Amino acid sequence: MIEFQNVSKTYANGTKALKNVNLKVEKGEFVFIVGSSGAGKSTFLKLIMGEEKASSGEVIVNGRKLSRLRNRDIPYLRRTMGIVFQDFRLIDSMTVYENVAFAMHVVGAPPREIRKRVPYILGLVGLQNKSKCLPAELSGGERQRVGLARALVNNPSMIIADEPTGNIDPALSFEIVDLLSEINRRGTTILMVTHEHNLVKHFHRRVVQIHGGEVVADTIRKTAGKTPAGLDDKGEDLSDETV
Amino acid sequence: MKLYNFRYLIKEGFRNLKSNRTMSIASVAVLVSCLILTGAAMLFSLNIGQAMESIEGNNTITVYLKEGMPTLESVQVGEEIRKIDNIAECEFVSKDDALKSMMETLGDDGTVLEGLTGSENFLPDAYDISMKDLTKYDETIKEIKAIESVDHITDYSDIAKKLTDLDNLVGMVGFWVVLLLGVVSLFIIANTIRVTMYSRRMEISIMKSVGATNWFVRWPFIVEGIVIGLVAGILASVLLFVLYNSVMQVISGIAAFFTPVSVASLLLPYTLGFMLVGAAFGAVGGVISIGRYLRKGGSELVGL
Repeated sequence: MIEFQNVSKTYANGTKALKNVNLKVEKGEFVFIVGSSGAGKSTFLKLIMGEEKASSGEVIVNGRKLSRLRNRDIPYLRRTMGIVFQDFRLIDSMTVYENVAFAMHVVGAPPREIRKRVPYILGLVGLQNKSKCLPAELSGGERQRVGLARALVNNPSMIIADEPTGNIDPALSFEIVDLLSEINRRGTTILMVTHEHNLVKHFHRRVVQIHGGEVVADTIRKTAGKTPAGLDDKGEDLSDETV
Repeated sequence: MKLYNFRYLIKEGFRNLKSNRTMSIASVAVLVSCLILTGAAMLFSLNIGQAMESIEGNNTITVYLKEGMPTLESVQVGEEIRKIDNIAECEFVSKDDALKSMMETLGDDGTVLEGLTGSENFLPDAYDISMKDLTKYDETIKEIKAIESVDHITDYSDIAKKLTDLDNLVGMVGFWVVLLLGVVSLFIIANTIRVTMYSRRMEISIMKSVGATNWFVRWPFIVEGIVIGLVAGILASVLLFVLYNSVMQVISGIAAFFTPVSVASLLLPYTLGFMLVGAAFGAVGGVISIGRYLRKGGSELVGL
């Protein structure tokens, strides 16, 4: 699904954001990406989304080498992934329904399909009764569920969540990750960047830790259902970032 | 593109306009003034052209003979004129005929001339001539003037030259003013759209993150520009023709001989032309502003 082969990324200003990263995420996996600010997490996501190109090495998404991707193919790459933002990125002037429908409109979906699909997805994230609300009338957790619904509505094969719980009441964070787990159970690959140690610990999933542009820990060979051993040693790193 | 996509993009374009009302109105106003000035210059030129045509077009020069000349001598002058190479036609107009036609032209007022018939007639005998080749106008006139009994010739070349000069002047000044205003309106439209784009930057980043193509992002803004242009085009042509009508009424009141180019025949092509130009301006304005934004704008996709 996603593969990094000796990927390095150096920005024009000389910043070495990623150094020789090798990583493979299979279809249907749920992966936490952890690491402190400036560790290279966002570069990692940008490379997957085709927003930046690797300086060397190869990023492969859905079997396509992104180095060979033309600019006009990028929108079609993005349609295979749903992106969830830390700050929700909802349009304040649109209702919950319209926010989700917007994502379908702009990829040219037929109105009939939109009318069918949006209520279904809102039901999936438990917001069927809030479809006429404006984002301002919702709690942080509910807003992020709208964000999640929007990411899901075009039926992507993977969800890329960039600190989805960063702006949410910690108690409600679990709800969001529960929801992501449920989506994952239905076969969607999940990539979630987070700072929150509690979440990582609570949901026993694969954890990839990025530090200084390198993958310093990856629990891929660890048995699922066990707290990743390598991580507890680095607990300080994580708690630093945990608010 | 599917019909429903088309509808959606048009709707979004109108939403842009509504959310950015003040700037939209400002761009319409500037574009209207640009179009009106262009149109005014064109109408002016058109009318000058028509006036020149009516002067040159009948291509008739009247050669007046000296007063009180016996008829026989007048006929001889006619022979002499016909001998000149460049003369196509040469028709004798007696002073009686001239008076009659003048009375006809004046209509009811013509009765005042009745007392002048017969021996009181102050008009000279004349020849209406036309030339084969107008480019030899000056030489031919010179040759006619050389004939002894010729008093003077109605010479339109002077008026024609003045009109041409005026037309050229208006054309030139008009060109620069319109060019300047054109650049200004393009700039203002582009700016208006940029303001809309700025207020929509989050929507744009969401659009890009869910995989909208660049064209899908662009179209609402281009629609916005086109609508600004179309509205300006319609408004400008309505205003221009209201203005034109009232100005022409004043002018024909002063100068009865002048027949202005009629509005009816121009209204449709002008309105269509204005709408087309307006829409083109709007579209270009939209493309300019969004093009720049799309090239650098994508990088705010991940808000880290």
